Amino acid sequence: MKISCNWLKDYCKHDLSAEKLAEGLTNAGLVVDTINPVEDDFCLEVEVTSNRPDCLGFVGVAREVATIVRGKLDIPDVDYDTTDENINDITSVTIEDNELCRRYTARVIKDVKIGPSPEWLQRKISSIGLRPVNNIVDITNYVLMESGQPLHAFDFDKLSENRIVVRKAKKNETMEAIDGSKCVLSDEMLVIADSQKPVAIAGIMGGKETEVSGTTTNILLESAFFDPRSVRRASRKLSLMSDSSYRFERRVDPECVDWASRRATKMILEIAGGQAVEGVIDQNHLEDNKVSVSLKMSRLNGLLGLQIEKDTAKVILENLQFKINSETEDGFSVDVPSFRGDVYREVDLIEEVARIHGYDKIPVKNSIGVKLSQDNRFDKITEKTKNVISGLGFNEVVTDSIVGDSQDRHGTIWSETGGLKILNPIRQDENLLRKALVHNLLRVKKHNQNYGVEKTDIYELSKVYLPKEDDQLPEEKECLCVLGEDGYLALKGVIEAILRHLNIEEDLESAHFDFGLFSSEKSAELRLGNSVLGFIGELSREVINDYDFRSKPCVAELDFNVLMDKTKLEGSYQKIPSLPIVTRDFAVVSDEKVTWAEIKGCIESLKIDYVDDIEFFDVYRGKQIEKGRKSIAFRIIFRADDKTLKSEEVDILQEKILASLNSSLGVSLRA
Amino acid sequence: MQERLNEIQNQAKDELAKAESLEEVETIKTRYLGRKGGVITDIIKSIPSLPPEQRSSTGKSANILKQEIGTWIEDAKGRFADKEQASDSKKMFDLSLPGEQKPYGHKHPLTQTIDEIKGIFKKLCFDIEYGPEVEHEYYNFDALNIPADHPSREDFDTFYLGNKRLLRSQTSTVQIRVMEKTKPPIRMIAPGKVFRPDTVDARHASMFHQIEGLMVDEGVSFSDLKYVLTLFAQSYFGQDIKMRFRPSFFPFTEPSAEIDISCSLCKGKGCSVCSQSGWVEVLGAGMVDPNVFDTVGYDSEKYTGFAFGIGVERLTMLKYGIDNIRLFFENDLRFLSQF
Repeated sequence: MKISCNWLKDYCKHDLSAEKLAEGLTNAGLVVDTINPVEDDFCLEVEVTSNRPDCLGFVGVAREVATIVRGKLDIPDVDYDTTDENINDITSVTIEDNELCRRYTARVIKDVKIGPSPEWLQRKISSIGLRPVNNIVDITNYVLMESGQPLHAFDFDKLSENRIVVRKAKKNETMEAIDGSKCVLSDEMLVIADSQKPVAIAGIMGGKETEVSGTTTNILLESAFFDPRSVRRASRKLSLMSDSSYRFERRVDPECVDWASRRATKMILEIAGGQAVEGVIDQNHLEDNKVSVSLKMSRLNGLLGLQIEKDTAKVILENLQFKINSETEDGFSVDVPSFRGDVYREVDLIEEVARIHGYDKIPVKNSIGVKLSQDNRFDKITEKTKNVISGLGFNEVVTDSIVGDSQDRHGTIWSETGGLKILNPIRQDENLLRKALVHNLLRVKKHNQNYGVEKTDIYELSKVYLPKEDDQLPEEKECLCVLGEDGYLALKGVIEAILRHLNIEEDLESAHFDFGLFSSEKSAELRLGNSVLGFIGELSREVINDYDFRSKPCVAELDFNVLMDKTKLEGSYQKIPSLPIVTRDFAVVSDEKVTWAEIKGCIESLKIDYVDDIEFFDVYRGKQIEKGRKSIAFRIIFRADDKTLKSEEVDILQEKILASLNSSLGVSLRA
Repeated sequence: MQERLNEIQNQAKDELAKAESLEEVETIKTRYLGRKGGVITDIIKSIPSLPPEQRSSTGKSANILKQEIGTWIEDAKGRFADKEQASDSKKMFDLSLPGEQKPYGHKHPLTQTIDEIKGIFKKLCFDIEYGPEVEHEYYNFDALNIPADHPSREDFDTFYLGNKRLLRSQTSTVQIRVMEKTKPPIRMIAPGKVFRPDTVDARHASMFHQIEGLMVDEGVSFSDLKYVLTLFAQSYFGQDIKMRFRPSFFPFTEPSAEIDISCSLCKGKGCSVCSQSGWVEVLGAGMVDPNVFDTVGYDSEKYTGFAFGIGVERLTMLKYGIDNIRLFFENDLRFLSQF
């Protein structure tokens, strides 16, 4: 809210410079964002938190200033003379919905002269950025800014049957607002109507037809209390916001409704002439709930870590217009003023005292003692995993959990059911929670390719959301997705590196897996024992074309929970062998169908103690090899714990291995 | 014979030491080891003609000497080879060539910020906790003392999934989940994603990260809050920053505070980052509202505590001078590889 420093002095005299005033307000909780010079004045942009609607008017802010500088608050006088004619004889107010309109007051002023406002008034409202219109509108705006209570003036003679009906709009009823916008109303919106039609959208904006114009002579002045929630909803729905709606949404002071009406009436009489009709129509359905709260000083000092006297607290609260109604040794009790709906408990009073006393005066402790914090297993494993992948040259990405329906286009990984739907998405084409990470990584790859980055080795460790039945929360599965540009085996190597670093001993098994995202040749389901770890594959031609990729990326998506389950954080030390090893290199020829896993498995099944390791070299297909067959090269490392192996011993083992490979898999030594 | 060998040894050593060029070394090599007429070669050839008792010992000594001279010759050659290469401009090794590019991946800057903050709070004995991102309205609002008609519940401020489920709009949800299952004392932080249907611009994203903090025990006061958050800010931003605690409002804390630090860019003089104020807001905090304690079944007369929230993107942007939040989620490698 904009505050003119000069105008503010009408309600509280003080000697502070604009900067000092801004600092004082900020330290009391009314943050001054900017200080703008306006002619001989300064305009402060004050940020008012949603719990303090009482500070959405100059008087409210002045109350804070008076408390800070311990000065006096001057509230303007609102008494005026009336004619003999009684308001109930010339108009009426009917409220059809007491919930949405809890108080409505109307006053009528006759024979006013519409014209420009006097210069002082124009200057005042201009200083906070309002545009002068005519004297009546300017006065309602002035009182709105002064008190925080919105007002509206109708051209009384243009109200059909000269009466007011506060009701819900009819479906598709229309009204042209003062700002020229044509509003189509819906049946949950509250309107102010005459006997025929809506003349204002309650709390938001008046109608063009009944606005005060140059020809207006008689005025009906509205001051009301509308339900904050319904004003907010209607305002959002119509995309129509105003200084009024802003205040009604935050709840106006129920007791100020009539004060503001009287204040405006008095100003109209003084500035625009005319006579006020006697009386007021005041339909008040607000509950009269006086709030009284007590405060214990021991509690206050304990919660804040302070040592202040009871009198200090009392003075602060009294300046804020709380009334002390009783006192004990350790504390006192206060009546809460009507404009402070946010204060209803002891702790609320403690905050009032703390903010005025100053947060800067609360001492900073110098010890909080120690406590053993618990290690978080997820964090440890996550950190290890990220260190390994990043160390291998992959960059971590963070992508949006909210995606479009293209995530199911090439098949689904973790769940067949459709993604969880967001009812109110920002964009209708992105309204689902992701069920896999892979599609997001493809989009990152695409973005980078568009900007000329060709090699995109990336990964993400994040959640996917798998729907469960009915209204249950979804399963939030932690997944690790890696996209690599160096082919299938390179990516599999990355996964194996992770498994090694997490001390996972089980073998990584690959089984063929048909999935639209991947090429049928190079794609697999990865397993660790009985658990499905995830999926790996080279992208299919179709997907590559779809994304227009210039390279042939390979992607793996893993269930991080399976990795977590199998991880051993405390690996044990293995003694380094001291005796020499004997190595033998093999080049064997086999049928295309024979897999490396089978060859390795065959050798392992012989359970030869001295076989320490079997290392794969490469696969060769070419001129020297018969069609339909391939050559596989590998090395076996032989080692004994208790002796140096002799060449002849190894020769025997080698023969045994070759014989077994030959008999069970038809594999023979390459000629 | 042994004497003769000793003599040859000394002579050869001496000559090689004095040699001044590669050619000279080659000549010396031929003189001693040459197949025809080499001094050592000849001695070895003559062994069969020696008396039987001398053959073995002479053979051994001669062979040792042959190897020895061979080593010296290689050493001497090396001496000249180095010089030769240095003077041969065609073969010069260009020391200024760039090193081979070894790939090294980067963790996302937001991960790095979260890790750093976790590290600081671990030093202060805080546990790390996590909670679900899809939540019940109860944890996101009701239990946090957010009234039924509060604006943050409207569907332009929170993503809804139906059946009272939503995407959490704050990590404060984890406070409730932790207090429900744990008795005080509590010290915890909870990092994670949060979601709000904000229109995306340079400062707003519909998904971003927060770190929630909570400390509850008997006798925890605002003074403790100031201590912990001062330690945090000094640790993260540097010892010499200034801090300002000012009153604010959050439904789940009372009293509430916002914490500013002196702008690191302009040192408090005023610039565009701090909108000329010299201060930048970095944290929201406050004493846990008694209603929240009542909800989770803590005795609010006995226990007090404070909670705080940190915006991860904001802190990262401040630290590196990043001006657009969207950069974090576009994942352009030219951006990511700077961290």
